[in-house]
Amino acid sequence: MGIIDKNLSLRDRNKMLLGIWENEDKLVEATSELVHARVKIQDVYTPYPVHGLERIMGVRRSWLSIVAFLCGMTGFSLAFWMIYYMYVQDWPIDVGNKPVRFSPSWVPVLFEATVLCTAFGMAFFFFFRNRMIWGIKPELLDDRQTDDRMVIAVETGEGVDEKKVLKIMKDHGAVELREKTGGVQTTI
Amino acid sequence: MIHDSLIRERLVTGGKTASDVTRDIARPILNKPSTAWKVGFTLSVIFLGIFVVSLFWTLWTGIGTWNINKSVMWGWDITNFVFWVGIGHAGTLISAILLLFRQKWRMSINRSAEAMTIFAVICAAMFPVFHMGRVWVGYWALPLPNAFGSLWVNFNSPLLWDVFAISTYFSVSLLFWYIGLIPDIATIRDKVKTKAAQYWYRFFSMGWNGSTRIWARYELISLILAGLSTPLVLSVHTIVSTDFATSVVPGWHTTIFPPYFVAGAIFSGFGMVATLLVVARKVMNYENYITIGHLEAMCKIIMLTGTLVGIAYLTEFFIAQYSGVEYEQYAFFNRASGPYWWAYWSMMFCNLVSPQVFWFKWARTTPWFIFIMSIVVNVGMWFERFVIIVTSLHRDYLPSSWVMYSGSLTEIGLFLGTFGIFFTCFFLFAKFLPVINMSEIKTILRNRE
Repeated sequence: MGIIDKNLSLRDRNKMLLGIWENEDKLVEATSELVHARVKIQDVYTPYPVHGLERIMGVRRSWLSIVAFLCGMTGFSLAFWMIYYMYVQDWPIDVGNKPVRFSPSWVPVLFEATVLCTAFGMAFFFFFRNRMIWGIKPELLDDRQTDDRMVIAVETGEGVDEKKVLKIMKDHGAVELREKTGGVQTTI
Repeated sequence: MIHDSLIRERLVTGGKTASDVTRDIARPILNKPSTAWKVGFTLSVIFLGIFVVSLFWTLWTGIGTWNINKSVMWGWDITNFVFWVGIGHAGTLISAILLLFRQKWRMSINRSAEAMTIFAVICAAMFPVFHMGRVWVGYWALPLPNAFGSLWVNFNSPLLWDVFAISTYFSVSLLFWYIGLIPDIATIRDKVKTKAAQYWYRFFSMGWNGSTRIWARYELISLILAGLSTPLVLSVHTIVSTDFATSVVPGWHTTIFPPYFVAGAIFSGFGMVATLLVVARKVMNYENYITIGHLEAMCKIIMLTGTLVGIAYLTEFFIAQYSGVEYEQYAFFNRASGPYWWAYWSMMFCNLVSPQVFWFKWARTTPWFIFIMSIVVNVGMWFERFVIIVTSLHRDYLPSSWVMYSGSLTEIGLFLGTFGIFFTCFFLFAKFLPVINMSEIKTILRNRE
């Protein structure tokens, strides 16, 4: 598995069928129906998170929590090594002739470094995985998909019954149906 | 499917649809600035000017322009530092802890509270940094070998823990805020008309298009960040409190400080959120999004945390008496009846007595009254830090070191000036970014079925 999710790109798709919704519940019904009919949904675009939709689509649970744990361990280890090197090996500070070794006074710095590395490591992974880079051009299928409209995109090809897909979409409340070939969209 | 509760009031009123939400909340960004915004922004910039002048005077002449001395070596500067850090606690608390507790009323206020956190931490950082005197060697506070040999920072010192805690808190809060903003920046990107605006909103939206695959990961990262930020927010003020608690100064050397400081920070943070939002909801016409129910919930938290802080004040007295240590007993006796009695009793009135008014529903549901109370809370919390710092220091173990302290004009200017930084940043935020989290609010609209 590469880090960048290849499923997200719309650039190389030949032809797509698009259904537009304005109602979340009908969108969920339509997605569910399409999945039951064994239609491979490219993606569903919504202006806000619709809970449960990713499970219906069969999107696997993200590895983010594992990445977060690994980043946290890295941060903790680096901070421990830093303090040990500076404070025990390189220049021990004699306070009241106490032995210079691990003490609870290290905990705040270890904790903060762990949190910092976890948060930023996880965020960088999230951005890479989702192809999110500053300045990248967004791939939009409808100019209101970040406002109040929702889009189901189905890639057509061999084995895809276009008429059946369009019928399911229409029967489950799509307010508009479109076909996208290359960069051109036509209303059906 | 969203079900209406029979008991709870709606979180968004006015029968709003998703497109109404976008239109209402993006209005200040898409339109020309209102007169209220222009007046507020100009005033803020004037205060920012006061900060610049005071800072210039401090740097040009030196820390001697402040009235701190060998006994009261921390004065207004560290009072202001702790005051602003405390205010900075509400943002992450609202976003993180209330998210983990699934409190949906947070959705209307989390964005502005997070912004407030970031600006407040910037204001806070000014004071210890410039208190160093030679600010150009401020990087010595970082774990770097200095130019004169292998001398490292002291990991036993709470002041170093502070460097790590505040910088981590600032960075993680900024990240949390930015990740939360991305979907809304994308919404604005698709609405703005001018080329420059389109460029910048596109730049910061990172190609967001609302894909369900990304939403699923986005929800997960928000949850993990909330899980991380919850202990972080508690650790920051705990560490700030250890600046005092690990010392041997009577009045500071007490184990109650960490929970007491955290409760105080939440108290003052909510006070500032209430100050800002009572005004913002009126000026920006957000009454349907920041409802009386939201204000009431905030008032309840203010009352709870104010009472917690009040109990801590009383416990300190009890412990001083119970310890049998005469220095400790004198420190507290002096606080309440010494030359700074007025500061102590202002603190007691503002933080312990006045929030009790929120037991009455009228007080919790009347915006102008909440606004006044939120100011009272913040005045009280400033006095709390002043009392802890100045009354503990001004009577040393040696009576020959006893002094009185009051802030100089430069110190007062710096403090007022940080309000300039804070409000200038806040007005710019309100003009260019959505003050309410649109994508989250759209998930709780009741008329979608």
